[in-house]
Amino acid sequence: MDSFPASAALRDLLASCLKFSGAPSVVDMDGTRRLAHGLGLTEGQAMRVLLARGIWPERFLRSRESVSEETLLRLLSSRVLIAGCGGLGGHLAALLARSGIGCLVLCDPDIFEESNLNRQRFCTEKTLGHPKVEACRDGLREMASYLEVQALPWELDEDNLPGLLKGTDAVADCLDSLDKKKMLERAARNAGVPYLHGAVARHEGFAFLDREGSMMSRLYAAPETTGGNMNTTGLTVAATACVMAALLVRSLGREADNRDRLFHIDVSLPELESFSLS
Amino acid sequence: MSIHVRLSTTLRECVPGYVPEEGLDIDLAPGEEAVTAGELASRLGIPAAEIKIVMINGRQGDLRNAVTEGDRIAYFPAVGGG
Repeated sequence: MDSFPASAALRDLLASCLKFSGAPSVVDMDGTRRLAHGLGLTEGQAMRVLLARGIWPERFLRSRESVSEETLLRLLSSRVLIAGCGGLGGHLAALLARSGIGCLVLCDPDIFEESNLNRQRFCTEKTLGHPKVEACRDGLREMASYLEVQALPWELDEDNLPGLLKGTDAVADCLDSLDKKKMLERAARNAGVPYLHGAVARHEGFAFLDREGSMMSRLYAAPETTGGNMNTTGLTVAATACVMAALLVRSLGREADNRDRLFHIDVSLPELESFSLS
Repeated sequence: MSIHVRLSTTLRECVPGYVPEEGLDIDLAPGEEAVTAGELASRLGIPAAEIKIVMINGRQGDLRNAVTEGDRIAYFPAVGGG
């Protein structure tokens, strides 16, 4: 963006958009959109350009003491594929949207059913019967209008995954069977994409992030291990999705790599612990 | 000292009266120095086929690993829901 105004000129341009011109300077949604429109940028691009100049979008202001400008910039530039938009996927998508992820690709072939109401973030009485990816997309857009969202009502398989994983910074496994999860991990490994695992059963959940694409096969050493799909609650999926989001944000923000660590959540106690798989 | 045992989800049903907050504290038999994780599970009435993940003292192990007094072991079934 060679023609983008330098900081002092930018501040003049933004004079009418700045909500606060101190430290930090803050621009609200309207100001960001006016800037984006005026410069032919998307809202997301405009936010990144502002942030790179130390100007905070008001929507992220309360994150400022917990998240650095550099981390938020990396998140805004990241693209994450979320496989499964039910329990884990819906909560994860919402958390990532509020955390500043720039692009989410949502994949799920299912529609919402009444039994999803106990735990699935975007399942409401109004969205029953609707495709999960569309309800998720619409709900996410209400939280984060700048977010790029693709809603794909597809069953993921070994044929379509390579194309979907291209250009992706991470894939989040929110699928509901071990066979599908193993397939997704293999595809992530082949594509060289970090694999974020989430799994739930009753009150408990597992989460890990793996760049090598081997932790599932280490965790479930016996190749014939299948199943593992049990009933679960809203508390369990939300807590597990929160740990997944934390792992992903840390990794995408290049703050830390929780290598070879499996996180176990038990909301019945409640307890969070980690195990080493090295 | 005992072996401290934690059970996950469906495995809790194998031990009547299991309290998740407390787990189980199991003593070895007199003269016994160690026992395999598989033998311990068997003594608790947990079918080996139901155990898919074993964690011993915070690290992944398996049913062949020996455990002794003071160790902490957790047994998990497959966890694959989303």
